[in-house]
Amino acid sequence: MEDYTLAGNDSIGKFIFEQSVAEPAPSALYDQHLQLAGKSHIVDFAGYLMPLWFTSISAEHEAVRQNAGLFDCTHMGILEISGPDAANFLNTVATNDIDNLEEGKAQYSYILDTAGNVLDDIIIYQLERQRYMVIVNAANEPKIKAWFDSLLKGKAVIDTEQPARKLGANPIIRDMRNTKSGGECSVDIALQGPKSLEIITGLLGDKSVLNKIEQLKSFHFIRAKVADVDCIVSRTGYTGAKIGYEFFVHPDKAGRLWEALLDAGKESGLLPCGLGVRDSLRIEAGLPLYGHELAGPFNISPFEAGYGWAVKLEKDFFIGKTAMKQNSETHNMQVVRIELPGEKGIRPVRQNDGILDKDSKCIGYVLSCAKAGEKQIALAYIRKNYTEENTPVGIYYPARNKKQLENGKKKSVETGDLLRADIEGKIISRFARF
Amino acid sequence: MVPEGLYYTKEHEWTKVAGDTATIGITDHAQEQLGEITFADLPAVGDKLSAGTEFASVESSKAASDVYSPIAGEVVEVNSALDAKPELINDDCYGQGWICKARITDKSGLDKLMDAKKYEDYLKGL
Repeated sequence: MEDYTLAGNDSIGKFIFEQSVAEPAPSALYDQHLQLAGKSHIVDFAGYLMPLWFTSISAEHEAVRQNAGLFDCTHMGILEISGPDAANFLNTVATNDIDNLEEGKAQYSYILDTAGNVLDDIIIYQLERQRYMVIVNAANEPKIKAWFDSLLKGKAVIDTEQPARKLGANPIIRDMRNTKSGGECSVDIALQGPKSLEIITGLLGDKSVLNKIEQLKSFHFIRAKVADVDCIVSRTGYTGAKIGYEFFVHPDKAGRLWEALLDAGKESGLLPCGLGVRDSLRIEAGLPLYGHELAGPFNISPFEAGYGWAVKLEKDFFIGKTAMKQNSETHNMQVVRIELPGEKGIRPVRQNDGILDKDSKCIGYVLSCAKAGEKQIALAYIRKNYTEENTPVGIYYPARNKKQLENGKKKSVETGDLLRADIEGKIISRFARF
Repeated sequence: MVPEGLYYTKEHEWTKVAGDTATIGITDHAQEQLGEITFADLPAVGDKLSAGTEFASVESSKAASDVYSPIAGEVVEVNSALDAKPELINDDCYGQGWICKARITDKSGLDKLMDAKKYEDYLKGL
C-alpha cells in the first residue's frame, strides 16, 4: 500500500484521504480494445486505459436494450475478506446486514466513515462460510484499502459517541485482482441485455449448468465453466437490464472469455460497450454513481439517493450509524429521475444545470444526464416536496462559455434563484428496468 | 482525413478562403473526439470574429467544445441546417457540416495557420 497518503480520521470522524496520481495502466483487456476501438477513444479512467466507446454510445445503448452488450469491468476493485472475523468485520464496516447473506448470494451495501460520509457503494458476495468478495468502485479502491488498513491498525475512531469502541475483528484482506496475492483471483466482465442468456448457452459444456443459470435470481451466483474458463456467473449488473450477468474470472483468462463471448454474441447483435454507454444505461435506469448521486459535492446520503433499505439502522452498530440515523430523519433533499426532450438539436442537459419548479424557482441541481433514444434522462437532487411523479420541472442551463456569459446566462445557479427555463420535463419513477 | 487547400488551427478548426470570404468548420479529428454531436450553438450574422476567440460551440452527450475562429472577420452566413441536424458535422465535417461563412477583415493572420501537411504532422504528434 504505497500508493496513498494515509491521513487518518479527524476529530469529527471524517476520513481524510489524498490519493496520489499515477500513470494510467492498460486494462486487463487493453489488447482486445486496441483491436476493436480507435485509439483516440481510449481514455484514462480511474487509472486505467479504457475505451469511451467502440461503435457509438447510441448504438451501444440500443444494443444493450434490444440485444446485449459486453463490458470491460476489469478495473473494478475486488477484495477478499476472509477468516473467522470476516462477517463481523463486514457487519461493522458496511451498512447492510451481512447475516442476510448465504453462500451464492450477493448484497448491495455502503461503507461509511465514522461521520457517516459515504466512502463507497459496494456489492458483497458470500463465496463460502467465512469468505466474502467485495466489489468496490475503481476510483475508490485505494481509499477503501486505506480505510480498512487504518481500521485494522486501530488508527481510526469508529464511534464518535463511544470513542473507546474497538473494531474487535481481525479478518484477512486480500486484493483478488493481484495474481501474486495467493489464492483465487478475479476480474469482472459483464454481459447485459435481453439476449445475454442465449449468448452464454452455446458456451456451456454442461446442460445442467444452463438450467442453473436460467434459474438464477437477481443478486445470486454460481460457479460454472463458460467457454472452458472457470468463473463465477452472477446475476448482477449496472445497466438496469432485467437479464444480465457478471463473470468473475482469473485475470489471465479474461481475454479468452471476452473474445469467446463476443464471438458467441455475433448473431445476437451483441456489441462491446465502452464507458460512455455504461454511464447512459445506468442513468436511464436511475442507478447512482459514486461522486454524482452518492457523496460528491452535495455529500448525498443513501437515504437521499433512494437506498435507505440498504442501511440497516436496526443493527446494533455499524460505522457511521449515528449520523445515518439522523440523516434518515432529517434529510430534505432527494435524488429523482427526470424525463426531458432529447432530439437532435436540443442542447444536452448537464451536471449542475438548475431544476426549476412551476414558479421558476430553482429547487435543485442536475447530477447526471444522458441521452436515451429521443429523450434525455436526468438524475437530479431536489427538495423533497417536489419529488412526486409527473411533477413538471424546468431546466436552466448556466453559461458554458464566455459567449453565453456575455449573453446574460448566469455562471452557476443556487436554490431559490428565480430563472427562466430553457427546456421543460417531468419527474418520472425513481428507477426503471428494461 | 485532412483535405488539401484549407487552413487549420491547433484547436482543430478549418477554414477555406475564397477571395474575402472564409468558410469555417471543425476538422475530422475534432468531430471524432466529440462523438455523436447533438447540439450546435451557432453565431449570428453580423457577429464579429477575432482570430483565436470562441464564436460557437458544439456538444455531444459526453463533451462540450468551444469553436475558435481561425480568422478575423464578420459573420455573413450561418449553416442553420445544423440547428436541426447537428450530426452533419459528424457525417461531413468539411462539406455540409460547415459552421459559418465570414468576410475576412484582416488577412495577415492566415500566415499563422497550418496547411494540410503541417496539420497532419501536428495530429501525428498528439
